[in-house]
Amino acid sequence: MTVSLSLDTSALPLTRQRNLAGRAMLLLASGVALCALLPLGFIVWIAIETGWQTALALIWRPRVGELLVNTLLLEFCTLPPAIGLAVALAWLTERSDMPGAKFLSWLAVAPLAVPAFVQSYAWISLFPRFHGLPAATLVSVLAYLPFLYLPVAAQMRRLDPELEHAAASLGQSPARVFLRVVLPQLRLAVCGGSLLVGLHLLAEYGLYAMIRFDTFTTAIIDQFQSSYNGPAANMLAGVLVLSCIGLIGLEWLLRGGARYARIGSGAPRPAPRRQLGTWRWPAMALPITLAVLSLGVPALTLSGWLLADGDSVWQQGALAASLATTLGYAAAGAFAAVAVALPMAWLSVRAPGRATRFLESCHSYPGALPGVVVALALVTVTVRIALPLYQTVATVILAYVLMFLPRALVGLRAGIAQVPVELERAAASLGRNPARTLLAVTLPLAAPGVAAAMALVAMGVATELTATLLLAPNGTQTLATEFWALTSELDYAKAAPYAVLMILLSLPMTALLHAQARRSLNA
Amino acid sequence: MTSYSSLALRIGVLAVTLAMTGAVRAQDGITVYNAQHASLTQAWADGFTKETGIKVTIRKGSDTELANQIVQEGASSPADVFVTENSPAMVLVEKAGLFATLPKDILDQVPSQFRPTSGRWMGVAARSTVFAYDKRKLKEADLPKSMLDLADAKWKGRWAASPSGADFQAIVGALLVLKGEPATADWLKAMKANSSAYRGNSVAMKAVNAGEVEGAVIYHYYYFGDQAKTGENSANVGLHYFRHQDPGAFLSTSGAGVLESSKHKKEAEAFVKWMSGKHGQAVLRDGDSFEYAIGNGEASNPKLEPIAKLDAPKVEPSQLDSKKVTELMTAAGLL
Amino acid sequence: MTQLVISNVSKRYGATAALDGVSLAVEPGSRVAIVGPSGSGKTTLLRVIAGFEAPDAGTVMLDGQLLADGPAIAPAHRRPIGYVTQDGALFPHLDIAGNLGFGLARDEPDRARRLRELMELVELDPAMLTRKPHQLSGGQQQRVALARALARKPALMLLDEPFSALDTGLRESVRQAVARVLAKAGITTILVTHDQGEALSFADQLAVMREGRLAQTGGPYELYWRPTDIETAQFLGNAVLFEARIEAVGVSCALGRLAAETGGRSGRGTIMLRPEQFQLSASGPGVEARVEDLAFRGAQCSVNLLIRNRETEIRFTAQVSSIEPPEIGDTVFVSIRGSAFLLPAV
Repeated sequence: MTVSLSLDTSALPLTRQRNLAGRAMLLLASGVALCALLPLGFIVWIAIETGWQTALALIWRPRVGELLVNTLLLEFCTLPPAIGLAVALAWLTERSDMPGAKFLSWLAVAPLAVPAFVQSYAWISLFPRFHGLPAATLVSVLAYLPFLYLPVAAQMRRLDPELEHAAASLGQSPARVFLRVVLPQLRLAVCGGSLLVGLHLLAEYGLYAMIRFDTFTTAIIDQFQSSYNGPAANMLAGVLVLSCIGLIGLEWLLRGGARYARIGSGAPRPAPRRQLGTWRWPAMALPITLAVLSLGVPALTLSGWLLADGDSVWQQGALAASLATTLGYAAAGAFAAVAVALPMAWLSVRAPGRATRFLESCHSYPGALPGVVVALALVTVTVRIALPLYQTVATVILAYVLMFLPRALVGLRAGIAQVPVELERAAASLGRNPARTLLAVTLPLAAPGVAAAMALVAMGVATELTATLLLAPNGTQTLATEFWALTSELDYAKAAPYAVLMILLSLPMTALLHAQARRSLNA
Repeated sequence: MTSYSSLALRIGVLAVTLAMTGAVRAQDGITVYNAQHASLTQAWADGFTKETGIKVTIRKGSDTELANQIVQEGASSPADVFVTENSPAMVLVEKAGLFATLPKDILDQVPSQFRPTSGRWMGVAARSTVFAYDKRKLKEADLPKSMLDLADAKWKGRWAASPSGADFQAIVGALLVLKGEPATADWLKAMKANSSAYRGNSVAMKAVNAGEVEGAVIYHYYYFGDQAKTGENSANVGLHYFRHQDPGAFLSTSGAGVLESSKHKKEAEAFVKWMSGKHGQAVLRDGDSFEYAIGNGEASNPKLEPIAKLDAPKVEPSQLDSKKVTELMTAAGLL
Repeated sequence: MTQLVISNVSKRYGATAALDGVSLAVEPGSRVAIVGPSGSGKTTLLRVIAGFEAPDAGTVMLDGQLLADGPAIAPAHRRPIGYVTQDGALFPHLDIAGNLGFGLARDEPDRARRLRELMELVELDPAMLTRKPHQLSGGQQQRVALARALARKPALMLLDEPFSALDTGLRESVRQAVARVLAKAGITTILVTHDQGEALSFADQLAVMREGRLAQTGGPYELYWRPTDIETAQFLGNAVLFEARIEAVGVSCALGRLAAETGGRSGRGTIMLRPEQFQLSASGPGVEARVEDLAFRGAQCSVNLLIRNRETEIRFTAQVSSIEPPEIGDTVFVSIRGSAFLLPAV
């Protein structure tokens, strides 16, 4: 041998695992998945503990039926108009020559920055008698439309125009082409977006509490306020979880095994925009009306309240304190969620397979659970089993991590997919162990995805209300909880600055989301 | 490690530290589980801290939520003092044996009608049930004679309440003590059919003012509080006192107690003493809470109807059973 | 002493056998090229040696140290093996110095000097150390990748198609530079490539892979002129095959009597000729053939020829100098330089 070795090769131990990094990641991700199963385990545990008879009595009563009807009505009234509006908006902004399409598409996404409960606060400030199903439907559509618009618009841009050309050459009129070729291809996007909206409708508390529309989530909080984590609250939570699972199942059925792939090679050409002719300018009425309703109304009422009380509303001591706390929680939650989601994200990119998919769904499902369920689970578990963790920052952060794991996964997966596996191999062949490879190579290169993931989680945390209400340590005030406390006492003027700060915090992240959705299509 | 990851690590540590600051504050002074109006307890706490230098950390919640929470937490509860709007929540904690007995000199600061015989907690303020009605729609003669009349079919769709709130649940508690379980269950069933549910007494009063409903069963001070501010939510509202020892004339005692598990009992007792004493009661008289002062020889705000003229029913506070109330209301479909 | 011993290594992906009982021995300081069409398992073999994959069965041993024994393996980062890939896999977030020093201990004495030496070793300007990978050309990137792998003084260097991403002109010069550097460092090298020209010129030992098996190993000259089967013959270059009768001395076929090593065989067989063995002349000697088509390829011409031989017609392509080539329709005389190779009986 002519080369002196820098490595001591006297006794290299052989290990049976084929992939050291994969094994470690699998172990970590399994741990996280186990943790994520906690809320589901809690529901089962509570059901067993309560006993079949009591549980049945608490579930099988008129009030639950009433809530179920309310919830179903809300879903049925909100989803169809939301889907229709999202498709129409997406078509106008992506496929027509409507003036200002780019700006208007931004406006269509911007309502994401207005937390749902601020949206309803804005509406009842303006129309105090506004309540019940019609109000709930209107505010829900306005608040959650972007969740449908984003995927539908993205899909609309991705469609291969050749298919439409082919249909046209087969003698189909433009309207029929849209119905028979374009709409079916939007199915996945519509299903995904509807699921997201549907889950939000189930989970939201503040919006419906404020406009007096009872859903499972508001009823759970009512019960919680009357009896803490009593069996009635927990049983309602169980029904709510079943509703969520039902919704996910329904979406799965409707989506079917469909995957729309482009056949043939080469990048698809950007689709041509339809000439609207004399309708060019009138077409703008739709996006502008929606923007006025979803952005104008909050802007109007907020500025109204702010102007009414002048500078004094900004001089509340609690404002700065709760802003600092909110920022702290948002950053801590974002950091923790991304750190916890990392092994899973790595596995889904580097080692896809059946086990990975299973673990992934364990990671994702708590995102579909309302914050109130996650919080109830953590309250009960910490109070009964892990008392040192009770009412601590750690528990709140854990709730945030569970609730926002899917958001973290989405960003991280995209980020890691950008890092070629060859670079990790190169690092290994240069003597770096898997953990150090992850830190020195994978993470720095996945930085944009990591940042996006953190931003998404931080945005969620900054406006989170229910879990924070239930779990926050003594004396903790966030923007959302303070806003809630003030509006509960009808002090709408004092609440306005909190709403403004929440919107300002969410705005850059909304912009990021919009930019990301567009970029992913150009790539 | 590269600069990226160490930077991220530093940000993370900073964030956790930031978030912790809220929790760290609770380490010194006393922790109060407060179900009273935030502004009132804050005023008490500020005055107390100013005088004694003892810091007060407040956790917000509603009566029975916090009471049940204390019961769950048991001996390891971080709470030193529990302050409520109504008595049932105090009874709940007392029954769980979690309150320490208060010294006699503190108890004696309020008349015996405002504290249980056990001496485990005491009243610090009181509020009266009222029927807030729309002056434009209802005349004196149209008003219900008793709260029980609201169960009549003729009141269907005309009145409101906040059934999810501890205030209303305390009134139901008094009804239960005064009229028994079957009558209460029937009344609640009728209420489910007749009334509109709002979240919060102020919201219910606002609805009366706006003409959405003709009347609402709430407490008196929401009206006076709003009148003292702009009156925008009560301009059309009149107050009707049921009197005649009707369940609807129930005078609810806001309680305060020191937890047996408290590690700062002296300071905690000092706070209860302060609230029920001269200075604390003066906050009720001069502040914007408009709750009744109940301390011996302490006057309430002169704008209020004097307690003596309310002709409230006698209800032994320790008989108020919040658990039963929640069960009955859950059964009636109000919760 | 043999440095790398691969014995009976097998690896399956589902139903397909990527490696099927592969055995290979590599001498210290030698340069081995593993060639084969895509999907033949050559990259899998390289990854097993590097430690990125675990074999299902078989052993890998380096300098007497067991690296893999069936699924039990030593992790990649503990093996004294360098690895350079098709695109170099330079870390885009680090500058050249950061890339070169990636495998070195951070407190390595004389780190700066080492980095400069490495740059000089791969014939790059040390001033480039502060640049980012994307500011370098493809060839420069490959040299940095090589230097980065050399920095740890590996006992074995694995090159996975390291030149295929480079332009044709650049490829040759980078290949020569890499060969020089590796020779200077005296490091045993295994190159994986699907380019037979690259393999023939780079390696002193060639291993031809097909469908997960090693079809033939040996020196490049040996494999080119004496392949054991038709596939290998055709993979390493154009081959013209003729049915032949084995005579006492040599063989006889459509081209007449040709010199060949018969090894005492008799009966019929297949002979292989390389296109460059053909010589055309206007007047003989040789067998008469007609020029059916002609393709000009710069230095050489490919000539499609037809021989009419009683009832049969035989078509084949010859490679001749492009100085004064024949024209389509000409009749030419074909003769053979050197001897024909009689392929072993199947």
